[in-house]
This record gives sequence, C-alpha cells and structure tokens, in this order.
Amino acid sequence: MSGTESIAFDTPQRERRADNFAMWVFIGSEAMLFGAIFLVFLVAHIDFGPAFAAASKHLSLPLGTFNTAVLITSSFTMALAHRFTLQRRWHATVWALAATSALGVCFLVVKGIEYGKEISEGLAPVLDLPFRYAGPDPVHAQLFFGLYFAMTSLHALHLIGGIVVIAGMIALWRRCSPANRLRRVVAVGLYWHFVDVIWVFMFPVLYLINR
Amino acid sequence: MSELRKLTFGYLGLLALLALTVASSFLDLGGFNVALNLAIAAAKAVLIALLFMHLTGTLPRLAVAAAGLWLVILFGLTLIGR
Amino acid sequence: MSNAAMQGTYLGEGSGLRAWLLTTDHKRVAWLYLVSLTAFFFLGGAMAVLMRIELATPAGDLVSDDVYNRLFSLHGIIMVWFFLVPSIPATMGNFLLPLMIGARDLAFPRLNLASWYVFIFGSLFALFAVAAGGVDTGWTFYTPLSTLYANGFVSTAAFGVFIVGFSTIMTGINFIVSVHTLRAPGLTWFRLPIFVWTLYATSLVMVLATPVLAASLILIVLERVFGIGIFNPDLGGDPLLFQHLFWFYSHPAVYIMILPGMGVVSEVLPCFSRRPLFGYKAVAMSSMAIAVFGFLVWGHHMFVSGQSAYAGVVFSFLSFCVAIPSAIKVFNWSLTLRKGEISFETPMLYALFFLALFTFGGLAGLFLAALAVDVHVHDTYFVIAHFHYIMVGGMVTAYMAGLHFWWPKLTGRMYSEIAGRIAATVTFVGFNLTFFPQYVLGFDGMPRRYHTYPPEFQFWNVLSSGGAVVLAIGYLMPLFYLGWSLFRGARAPDNPWNATGLEWQTSSPPPPHNFETMPIVTRPAYAYDMKGLEHERFSPHREEAAR
Ligand code: HEM
Ligand SMILES: [Cu+2]
Repeated sequence: MSGTESIAFDTPQRERRADNFAMWVFIGSEAMLFGAIFLVFLVAHIDFGPAFAAASKHLSLPLGTFNTAVLITSSFTMALAHRFTLQRRWHATVWALAATSALGVCFLVVKGIEYGKEISEGLAPVLDLPFRYAGPDPVHAQLFFGLYFAMTSLHALHLIGGIVVIAGMIALWRRCSPANRLRRVVAVGLYWHFVDVIWVFMFPVLYLINR
Repeated sequence: MSELRKLTFGYLGLLALLALTVASSFLDLGGFNVALNLAIAAAKAVLIALLFMHLTGTLPRLAVAAAGLWLVILFGLTLIGR
Repeated sequence: MSNAAMQGTYLGEGSGLRAWLLTTDHKRVAWLYLVSLTAFFFLGGAMAVLMRIELATPAGDLVSDDVYNRLFSLHGIIMVWFFLVPSIPATMGNFLLPLMIGARDLAFPRLNLASWYVFIFGSLFALFAVAAGGVDTGWTFYTPLSTLYANGFVSTAAFGVFIVGFSTIMTGINFIVSVHTLRAPGLTWFRLPIFVWTLYATSLVMVLATPVLAASLILIVLERVFGIGIFNPDLGGDPLLFQHLFWFYSHPAVYIMILPGMGVVSEVLPCFSRRPLFGYKAVAMSSMAIAVFGFLVWGHHMFVSGQSAYAGVVFSFLSFCVAIPSAIKVFNWSLTLRKGEISFETPMLYALFFLALFTFGGLAGLFLAALAVDVHVHDTYFVIAHFHYIMVGGMVTAYMAGLHFWWPKLTGRMYSEIAGRIAATVTFVGFNLTFFPQYVLGFDGMPRRYHTYPPEFQFWNVLSSGGAVVLAIGYLMPLFYLGWSLFRGARAPDNPWNATGLEWQTSSPPPPHNFETMPIVTRPAYAYDMKGLEHERFSPHREEAAR
C-alpha cells in the first residue's frame, strides 16, 4: 500500500489524522481511569481533611518538587524530539528520545528513594509492613498513605510503560521508515505528555495539602 | 516566534508555575490553598496540551471535551450522592 | 469449508490454524470472537441450568449454599463480561462495520487482533478462578464483602475482568476512529446505517466508562493483595464509594449491552417490511442520547444503599428521563412496520421477539426507577426478571437476529429456514416461561441469590425451571443447523434478503479487502421505497432455480 501501515487507509495523511485522533481518544479513556482514582482520594480528603493535611507533611516536599521538575523537563525533551523529527534531524531526535527516557528513569529512581525513606520511617501501610505514625489520627493517616502508594505506583507503572516503549523505539530506529518514525514519535509523545499531566495534578494533591 | 522559542518559553513557564505552587503552599490562605494549587495545575496542563501536545483540530478537541464532560458527571453525581 | 468456491473470498486466504490466529482481517477476527463467545455463552448457560435445577425444589438439595453462591457469581461474571459486553460489537460489529462504511478494514487491524488476544488472556484468568474454586461475590464485587470477607479467588477474577476491559477499550477506540475517518465518499453521517450509529454510541460508552470499572477493580485488588484499605470502613474507607464507581460503569454498560442489539433490529425490521426506517434521524440521535444520559442514572442501583435521600430523588427522576430515548426507538420501530409488507423469515421473527421482550423489560425498569416501588422490590426476583428481559430477551435475541440475518454474508451459505423459525419460536416461548414467573416471585417478595425458598414459592419456580429447559433447547438448536449449513448449506447469493446497505453489495462471503471496487454512496440508508427494490422478495427456491 502507498506508505500506510494499515490497509484501511489510502493516503498517509488520512492515516496520520486517524492515529492522532486515536491517541486522543485513548488519552480521554486514561483520564477517566485516573479521574476515578482522584475521586476516591477527593472523597477521603473531604471526610478527613485535617488527618490528611498532617499526614501529607510527612512526604518529602524537596524530592517531590525535584521530581516534578524532572518530569516537566522530560516533557520538554519529548517535545524537542517531535520538533527534530519534523525537521528530519534524526540524530538529534534519538538523543532527545534518549534524554526523555533517561529523565523518566531518574524520576523512578527518586521515587524509589522516597518509597524507601517512607518504608524505613514506618509510613507504608502496605503488604503488612509495620505502620508507625506518630501524628494525630493515625487511622486516617493510614488511609492517606495507602492512597498515596496506590496513586503514585499507578502513575509509576504508566511511566515505566512509556520508558519501555521509547527504549524499544530507539532499538528499532534503524529499521523504521521516516514516515513511521514520525508516527511513532507523535504517538508516544502524546502518551508521555499525558503521564506528565497526571503527575502535575498528583503532586499538589498529595504533597501540598495544608489544611 | 519560532517553534523552538515557543517550546522553551513553555518549559520555563511550567517551571515558574511549579515554583509558584510550591511557594503558595507555605502561605496559609485558608481554604484557598487547594483551589489555587488546582488552578495552577490546570494552567500547567493547558500549557502542556497546547504547546507540547499540539491540541488542534476538531477530532482531538472532541475527545478532550468528551472526557472533560464525563469527568464532571462522575465527580458531580458522586458528590451529590453523599 | 475451504473448497474451490471459497477461492477469492476472505475464507479462501489460507485455512491453517496459523492463518487464522495471525490474521488481521477484521472478518476473521470476528470469527475468532464468535467462536470464543459461543463457548462462554454455553459455559455461563450451563451454570444457569444448574441453578434452575436447584431452585426446582424449595430445599437446598442439589448444591450447598456456598456452591450456589459461586454458581450465580460465575454465571454473572461470564455472561456480562465474557459474553454480553463484547457480543454484538466484537462479532458482527467487527465483521460489518468496515463493510457498512465502505472501508477495506478497521482503522487499526493489528489492534483489532490484539484485542482478541487480550480478551482471551483476561478470560483465562477468570477461568482459572473458576477451576481453582470460584468466587462468591456476585458479578457486582460489592465491597466490603469482596475485600474483607469473601474467601474465593476474587482478585484473580477481578483481574481477569480488568484485563478484558482493555480489550473492550481497544475495540471502542478502533470503532470510533474508523467511523470518523474511513467512511466511503458520499457516506455522510446521516446516511450511516443505524447499526453503525449504535456501534459508535456503544464505543463511546466503552471508552469512557470501562476505565472507571478498571479503577474500581484495581482498588479491590490493591486492598486484597497489598492491604491498602481504601474501601475498608475500619480505616475510614468508604465501601459505598465502590458502588458509585461500579455503577458509573455498569449502568452505562447495560447500554453497551443493548445498543448494538437496537442497531441490529433497526437493520432487520425495515428489510423484512420493505419500508424505510421510520424517523431515521430520531433513531440515530436517540442512540447518542442513550449513550450520554445513560451516565446520569447510576444511583438507581443504590436507592437502598444509604445514599442521601436527595440523591435518591434526583436519580429516580433522571432514570425516568432515560427511558425516553428508548421509547422513541420502540415507537419508530413499530411505525416502520405499519403498512409494511411484512414477511416472517427467521431474522425478522427474532427481531419482533426482541421488540416485545425489550419493551416489556423496559417498562419494568420504570417500576424500578420509582423510588418507593424499588424499596419494595430491590434485590428480589423482580430485578432479575427486569434485566433478563432486557439483556437476554433483548440483547441475546437481537444477537440471534443478527447472526441469522448476516449468516449468508459471513459464510456464503444459507441455513434451513424451517429450523430457524422453529428455534426462534422455541426460544421465545422458553424465555417467557423462564422469566415471567420471576416477576411474580419478585413482586411477592422472593429475594435473589438464595438457594432455598419457602414452599409457597414453588409453583412459579417450577414453571421457571421448566422454561429454562425449553430455552436451552432453543439456544442449542442453532448450534446444529447453523453448524450444518457451514458445510452443507445452499450457496448464498450476494444479497439474499434484497437488503440495502453496502455490505450486501459485495460478494458473499466478501473478498479479502471487502470490495472489488471501492463504493461511492448516493442514497440514504434503508431506501426500500426506491425503485427496483420494493417488490422483490427473497425466495430460496427461486434462487435455487436461477442457479
Ligand atoms: C428503560 C430504561 C431502564 C430503566 C429506567 C431501568 C431501571 C433499573 C433500575 C431502577 C434498576 C435497579 C433495581 C434494583 O436493584 O432495585 C435496574 C436494574 C438493572 N437493570 Fe435496568 N433499567 C432500564 C434499562 C435497562 C437496560 C437497557 C438494561 C440492560 C441491557 C438493564 C439492565 C439492568 C441490570 C443488569 C440491573 C440489575 C443489576 C444488579 O443489581 O445485578 N436495564 N434497572
Ligand atoms: Cu441501571
């Protein structure tokens, strides 16, 4: 067929339009997934505001802020990768992609350090780990930390997925026609930015409660 | 403005908003802290969607609008149910 | 099946297992789904038969209470998620959507195949849960029962459903994008067959609601496996929140299950009454209205669950409103029949039975939507009867209508018309015999989900169990005569019913890429009143003679 990947399309332009739309529909669907989880958090937050505020202070604000900056930067390098692909600067594209996934790994490492810190302080009420919380209302603080681990690990899983896809793309880069390169960079880029947006909301919701 | 400059400004804007939201959490604004944080997060999301994700064209906007509407339904009717 | 006559058709493109399992042709993927869904349908059906045998007597003599709990749970889980939700979209939808919009395939053929593998993978989890000992939470997985008390393989089953959800979302995305981007020249939105409209509306619900189900199932698994007490009241969690999330998905999901059926019926009724569909635009738009408004009523499942009284009133009112678009459709179908030249071929029989059963079930839905009445009949057999009238009487009947209507296109063969009509009638009789008594039982106060009951309920229960046997025969019959036609049936002409619609303009079965020359559309859908079509009527004998 004439440069399209799916036999359904007669021109690459139409196919690209369909790809782009499909990614947005997928993102809409993912938004509902995270929306539901945020809703669970919101309901608990409404019920137990003070306990949540106190518990939130036990998260590491410096590490959280740093990680937010890391993800924003990775989105920027991803946007650069898209830009370079359009200009057919393939070398630069690969570098930008590699930087993006490296920043993703960096985020995960920092997140892991945070988890380790919380576990050692006894703030991880999962898998029967000891929960030693000194603040007020430990029962509801436990709910907060449970939700914190649930939400951040769901986000981390999405990030891991993105990193794996980018790594695979780089590995197969040489075998990929220019048209397909563009399609893939666009698709994975949309996904990556979306995962970033989720974090942009998660960060203040979890780390910055002060009431 | 060249594309590259747009992206760079967007990036710097995002970092500035991050600084703003963290700084605001040190002030006690009563109930408005949460609202402000969410507003800033929404602003960041819009920046990312428009500059990095190139949210243009009818179809993508349709998808975003639908998801937005459905989130409103999900949150709204759950909260009145309590 | 693969003999000379299949050369040049999609069935002739390699017949080994490999060719089928690695195919990206939407028509073959449809077959993969058809075979797997049929297996699930009969598996779920076997559990139902066991339950009905148990309920033939008031005492709990056949199975223990615990086994009974597992039976109805797996029956529900299998029927809802592994049969009804994918039923029409993944089989006939997959096969017909590209044909109906004049495309060579769905927008993403590989995604389509992947969706089947994901479906199989997820359902293996659920089957593992069955083999390992089952689940006793009901298909609804209500917390805190499912998180704190249930001792079955809840996480495994829930995870299986979660995975199958992804396959649903993949199908939904594929359909939405295909309808937007692949319509043939001249095929404007208001020329689309209603079946396409309903698939589109269904996909919308699939894409936007399924993730919320996924979220609630994940949270259950997190609670059971990782000990995060999100729905645990002891930890300040809110078990009711699970019901909100679950029904945010599951009420719209009932429309995932019925909308495609409405689409099938909208194809069949005009064809066999030789009349254009009455009020085409109203039918098309009411499908979209159902998809949207179906999201506003989930609280009617929670009238007695402790949501606020204010919410109860709002949800009751909205539930009455959601019946309006369905009623619009029923009136339009009825008016399509008016002054039509009606003939009663098998698909038409099924479609007419759909019309009766769906209306009957929908009216019971209005009883349930009335807050005060529901307090009385909630969690009784009245609810069971309501949703079986719609999901079995409606959706499964429509599924059979579609299967018989498009069978010649799918296979290139005709089936025995007599056998078809008998099966349809047996199904209808058996269905009513099974489920009408349950309305009475429910109204008299027999609760659902128990394996024993007071002796005064026995009369209606015996009727219902007897009906189940008749119904089972009605569903088993097609297995035989359709199976037989697959190998021995008379060759089908390209357009055996003289139907409009692009799928009938290509050969039966279609060539690998659907059309020899890509079609251009110049007419509205259902142009049965246009010259050249109005007095032709299918007769198998005439076709045979012409050969
Ligand atoms: C005509 C519009 C409809 C209305 C007003 C309506 C109303 C209701 C109400 C109020 C209930 C809750 C009863 C209770 O639990 O006490 C209910 C249950 C149910 N309905 Fe409907 N319904 C409608 C259409 C449908 C359709 C089209 C389907 C399926 C295709 C359906 C499937 C179900 C199911 C599965 C349940 C029970 C679920 C359970 O508790 O396990 N309904 N309906
Ligand atoms: Cu409902």
